[in-house]
Amino acid sequence: MSTSVERTGTRALPGDLAMWFFILAELAVFGILILAFAVTQWLQPELFRAGRAVLDSSMGLALTLSLLTSGFFAALAVEQVRRGRAQGGAILLLAALLSACGYVVLKLQEYAHLAGLGYGLEHDTFFTLYWILTGFHFLHVLLGMVILAWMAERCRRRAYEPHACSGLESGVLYWHMVDLVWVLLFPLVYVLG
Amino acid sequence: MSASKVLFGCWLALVTLSVGTVLLAHAGPLTPWLAAGVLALALGKAWLIADRFMELRHGPRFWRGLLLSWPVIMTLGVLGTIAAGR
Repeated sequence: MSTSVERTGTRALPGDLAMWFFILAELAVFGILILAFAVTQWLQPELFRAGRAVLDSSMGLALTLSLLTSGFFAALAVEQVRRGRAQGGAILLLAALLSACGYVVLKLQEYAHLAGLGYGLEHDTFFTLYWILTGFHFLHVLLGMVILAWMAERCRRRAYEPHACSGLESGVLYWHMVDLVWVLLFPLVYVLG
Repeated sequence: MSASKVLFGCWLALVTLSVGTVLLAHAGPLTPWLAAGVLALALGKAWLIADRFMELRHGPRFWRGLLLSWPVIMTLGVLGTIAAGR
């Protein structure tokens, strides 16, 4: 159900209304996990301090910058398509995908490093929550990358029109939701130690 | 200002806030005030993403309020547990 004609005195909601409900549902799930992490940290502060000391905050920063840059390119792609520059939109979506690849490579390196040191899912409560929280987010990144690639191909085939690109807007909104969750995960997992 | 320039400014602000988060976190031992500063930067980033990237700045108030309430609730929740542990 498109909301392109839905007006409330201000600008219409971009994308599809169903995507906004989906985003709210996703945020609720991530919210429960984030609060579970915070409450457990409150109950076991020393364990969390020790666990967080193993993580590298500069790695967390690099992960953040790659995701934010990817989101920036995706937002630019929507602007290009709205201006009738579908090819430019396709290139920008590929740039977003490339930046997201940087996130995946870095995250896999971090996972391999931690697993190599023995900090697996069952090491302690901190790492159980670390793997569940970041792993769940990582799966969302992978799905978002598939969506970005699919939208880039559709852009290349000029499937989106300047005034009929609700599908593109919805896909990019999902990607921004992945960004939105990460900007809160980053300080919680890597920094607040 | 063109939409592209606004988005670039937004990205630049997000990068600055992210670097600021790490610098602030290494400024000293974690106190509730330092944690509040770090989380305020995260809240600023969430606000930029929702308002600019997700285009809610001029969107329906209901949806903007709903989406922005999520990072606010998360921030308050996390900050509450940190303050309670002190």
